[in-house]
Order: sequence, then C-alpha cells, then structure tokens
Amino acid sequence: MLSCRRLRKTYQTDRGPVDAVRGVDLDVAARHYVAVIGRSGSGKSSLMAMIGGLSQPSAGSILIEGADIWSFNDNAMAQFRNRRIGYIFQFASLLPTLRAIDNVALPALLDRHSGTADTYNRAAQLLTEVGLGSHFDAYPSEMSAGEQRRTVIARALINNPILLLADEPTSDLDVETESEIMALLLNVNHERGTTLILVTHNLALASKAEQVVQIADGAIVP
Amino acid sequence: MLQHWLLGSLALQNIGRRKARASLLIAAVAISSAIVFTGVVMMRSIETSMAVGFSRLGADLMVVPQNALTNITAALLTAEPTGEVLDADLLDQAHITGISRAAPQRVFRTEQSEFGGQGESVDLIGYDPGNDFTIQPWINERLGRPMQPGDVILGAARDVPLGSEIALFGKPFRVYAKLGRTGAGTHERGIFMPSAELLALVPAIREQTRKTPPMLEPRKVSGFLIELTPGATELQVRFALLSHLSGTKVVAGGSLLTGIRQGVTALLGGAISLVSMMFASTALMVSVLFSAIVTERRSELGLLKAIGAKRSQIVGMVLIEAIVATGGGGLCGVVFGMLLLRLFERSLVYYLTEIGVPFLWLDRMDTVLVAAACILGAGLIGAIGALTPAWRSSRHDPYDLIRGEG
Ligand SMILES: Nc1ncnc2c1ncn2[C@@H]1O[C@H](COP(=O)(O)OP(=O)(O)O)[C@@H](O)[C@H]1O
Ligand SMILES: [Mg+2]
Repeated sequence: MLSCRRLRKTYQTDRGPVDAVRGVDLDVAARHYVAVIGRSGSGKSSLMAMIGGLSQPSAGSILIEGADIWSFNDNAMAQFRNRRIGYIFQFASLLPTLRAIDNVALPALLDRHSGTADTYNRAAQLLTEVGLGSHFDAYPSEMSAGEQRRTVIARALINNPILLLADEPTSDLDVETESEIMALLLNVNHERGTTLILVTHNLALASKAEQVVQIADGAIVP
Repeated sequence: MLQHWLLGSLALQNIGRRKARASLLIAAVAISSAIVFTGVVMMRSIETSMAVGFSRLGADLMVVPQNALTNITAALLTAEPTGEVLDADLLDQAHITGISRAAPQRVFRTEQSEFGGQGESVDLIGYDPGNDFTIQPWINERLGRPMQPGDVILGAARDVPLGSEIALFGKPFRVYAKLGRTGAGTHERGIFMPSAELLALVPAIREQTRKTPPMLEPRKVSGFLIELTPGATELQVRFALLSHLSGTKVVAGGSLLTGIRQGVTALLGGAISLVSMMFASTALMVSVLFSAIVTERRSELGLLKAIGAKRSQIVGMVLIEAIVATGGGGLCGVVFGMLLLRLFERSLVYYLTEIGVPFLWLDRMDTVLVAAACILGAGLIGAIGALTPAWRSSRHDPYDLIRGEG
C-alpha cells in the first residue's frame, strides 16, 4: 500500500545543506506492522514526515494506495492528511485550549463529513477505548504525559485512517506507560487492520514487526 | 457553518489565552477608533454647521465708493446706503486673486415707498442670488416653496407675517421669508429682493420721486461684499483692491472671524490627514503584532495543518481572531468616542453657541453610519494586518511549522 522511491530530504541550514534522507526505497504491505529503528539523527523522523504528508521530499516519490501524494494540490493534501493518515508525534501535540474530547473530534470537525453529534459519539467511544473514559472534559494541562499520548492516539483514529505513523511515541514516558501505549498501538494494528509504521528504540517491540527497517545515515541498511 | 463555528471558537480561545496582550491590542485600536469616530463626526458636524452657521459670519471685506460713510462696527452683511455708486463690473475688470466670492449689492434708502406708514425710512436691498452669501444664510423661516418673482425677504425687525402682501411704490409684493436677528440695523430693518426685481421697480420709483436713484442704474451697484479664499490675508487683498481700483474704499470686517473661518478649513484638512495616518499606523501595528502571534503559534498552526486543516481554515482562524480583537476595539472606541462627543457638546459647542455660531450636530442616522464604518474599518484593519502573516505561515510544510522553523 506504500511505496517510496529514491526518496531524499535535504535541509538548507546556515551551515550548508544537511542530507537527512538519501535515496530511500521502501515498500510496505497493507495491514502490516513495520518497525523503523536507527540511531538518533539517522533520518527516521524526516522519512516519517514525508510519508505522512507533513514535509515535502527534496526528490523521489511516495505512492500510497497508488496515488503520488506529493502531486496533490493544497486542498487534496489537507484531505489526505485528514482522512488517510493518523500521526502520533514524538512530543505533546494536543491543542491546549481544547478539552480532550474536542481534541479527538477536531480532525473530523475540520472535515465537514459527519455531523457534530455523531463525531462526538465516536470521539467518546475512542477515548473510552484508549482507557480515558473518565477524562472527556480534561484539558491537556490537566492530563499526564501518558494520558495525553492516549488522547493523541484516539485523535489519530477518529477518521479511520489507513496508515498510522508513530514516531517514537513513548520516548518521554516511563517503562510501564510505554508498554501500555505500545500494546494499544499494536492492538489497533491487529483489530482494525490499520497499517502501522512505528519508530522505536525498543528492540523487543521491533522484533514483533512483520518488517523491520533499519536506517543509518539517511539510508536503509540492507 | 460547523467549521466556521469551530474555527471561530478556537480563535476566541486564542484571544483569551493572552488576556493582557489582547487587552492592549483592543485598547490601542479603541483609541484610534475613538479618535477617528470623534474626528469624523465633529468634522462632518462642523462642515454642515459651516454651510449654515459660519457663512453667517458675513463678509471679510466690503468695497464701497470712496466717499461712502461706513459703519465699521456693523457686521459686514450689507453695503452702505449712500448716494455714491460703483461700476457693476468693477471687480471683474480688476482680476484680483484671493477673492473666493464677491456679492454685489444695491442699497436704496427711501422715505417714499409708502411701506410701514407715511415717511418711514426703508432700505430696499437688491442682491445677486447667485453670489450672495450674507443674506440668504440668515433666512430663519420661509414659505414652503421656491422663491418667485414678486417675493421679498424681510429683516427680523419688520413685524409683518410670512406670506402677507405688502406694497412698495404701489406695487404688490409677497413676504416670502424672514431673516434671523443679526444685530446689524440695516440688515434687521431691510427689505431684500434680487437686484433684477429692484431694477424692475425703477419705473414705479421714478413716478414717485421723479428721478432714478444712482445705484438703480443698470450698470451700477452700491458696493461689493467679499469673501477671501482660504489662506489669503485681508491685508494682501485689501492692498490689491486699493491699488487696482481708484475711487473706492475697502472696509475690513472682524479679522477674528476671517481667522476662524480659515482656521476651521485648515483644521478640517489636518483632521483628514490625521485620520488616515491613524488608520495606517494601526494597520501596521496590528500587522507587526500578528506576525509575532503567528510566529509564536507556528507549532500549533503546523499541528492543525498536520491533522488536515486546509490553508483557508488556518488563515480564516487567524483572521477571525484579528477581526474579533480589532472589531471589538473599534466598538469600544465608538463607545468612548460617544463620551468624548458629550464632552465637546458641553465645552466647545456650548461656547460656539454662546458667541452666536450655531452648531448643528450630524444627524443620528449619519452618526450611526460613521460608527458602523469605524467598527467595520477597525475589523478590516485587523484582517489586512493579519492576512499576510497568516497567509505566509500557512504556506509552510506542517513539519517545519511544528519544529518551529516556519
Ligand atoms: N528542519 C531541519 N532543519 C535542518 N536540519 C534538520 C531538520 N530536521 C532534521 N534535521 C537534521 O536531519 C538529520 C536527521 O534528523 P531526523 O530526521 O530528526 O532524525 P531522527 O528522527 O532519526 O533522529 C539530523 O542530522 C538533523 O539534525
Ligand atoms: Mg526523530
């Protein structure tokens, strides 16, 4: 379902260009769980951002379900991010002025697809599924890091994406919380059949993947 | 609808996040908006008042024959009733700059008109309706129709009801209008009519008096009343008149009044440029502020974009925030401006009315329009100021925005 060809990302910095991703070819099958591993600074986040439609590749192409996503115009790209991708960031990524349930409902509300009542029902159900049944009205500042991450997962799922991208979603969490969150993600992959690409440093977790991609210095280690 | 509500509420929440900053922005816009609102309402009021009121200040200069006796202290509202005359085309010949209007008048003082009783002295004043600026502004009451041949205007001291018929040298006339009290004797007791009407009366006058009074010769007048152009000084024009026209005398009115008239004109010009500068500087300030706000919120905007917000939604959200804040400021400014106008009413306007300059406030409908324009204008400033920063940041990749590099 995913196919990257000769993917490159070069950042222009004050100290000259930085080649973060240098010619990545990657194919991922639908419903698979793919683990991406590699040292810090190897280009994992840059790769994920390009796949998720968040960062434009300097060269190369990304096909998702046959569509070249970086050929989309602004609105089509917004819709792609909205409906197809669920992105779980490495850092806190909730809007601070919104309650948990509003944050979860937000992607569905941005896209005028379903009614508000329906959207909020789904948001409540998802929050319950990730174990936050009693936190609907909590603001991000009132939640722990683990609870915030669960909320982000619920948000990522609200529009039933085909691809879940999780970039070190537990790097700032304690071990116990980490394993809970990871169990949640793997469960989504199993139960819903959502393709999951997970960047992790946890080799035990990586070993459960159908496909392990190791990145070093912006390229895949064969 | 739903998304507008959603973006609107996000925008409102964003305003609420930095209450001190939002209050400062609102206060700044409110001050400009108050100045613009008060300025425009005062300006428009003064303009309409000028049309009626300041024109009542009379002429700046009067040109009369050399030997005419003149009453310097009288307001420059009518020429002097003497036997001396000037050529009607005198000023046209001289081409003097600094004159904005020149009103020729014929003043014929007679005891034989049979008006007001045997031997009563009456001034019949012929004016040129097209150039007149000292008689018609004083009309207080008039018949509900345009002036027609056979109509006359009476000074305030003449106790004859509007619409009644009077006889002058045996000819019937209709009292079309009456003037307000001016304090100038000739003006208060005069009978005014267009010069053409006065000239048409000459045969009847000749029948009574056996001669044609000199100022009723077709090409003669008693004198001219002169209004200066803004910026022209009384001294310059008086000097020019005297050097070009022999056998004339130039009488100056109250230079204070000339000063006021010219001052107000300059003030209005200044106020307009002040208002446009306020507008521009507020727009700049809002633009700078929203550049900072957008930069500060880059990562949130990036996040919104990452979860599927369209560019138009992101720009829309920032614009709503700006428009609500500046529009709110505009509203506060208008309220504040209303209070300022109250203050003016109690000070400046009271003073003007005291010295006899009537002040006419802009009517309610127009004031509401100005208020609405101020609020809309303030909102527009917000939209203009925030548009560029919002548009530019919405262009970046979400990843760059989230990492704080947009
Ligand atoms: N926006 C950026 N501007 C400049 N350099 C960047 C940017 N993002 C990442 N880099 C650089 O690109 C390389 C890869 O970064 P990243 O993709 O974040 O790797 P990882 O996620 O594996 O740690 C690093 O050297 C990093 O410093
Ligand atoms: Mg990373």
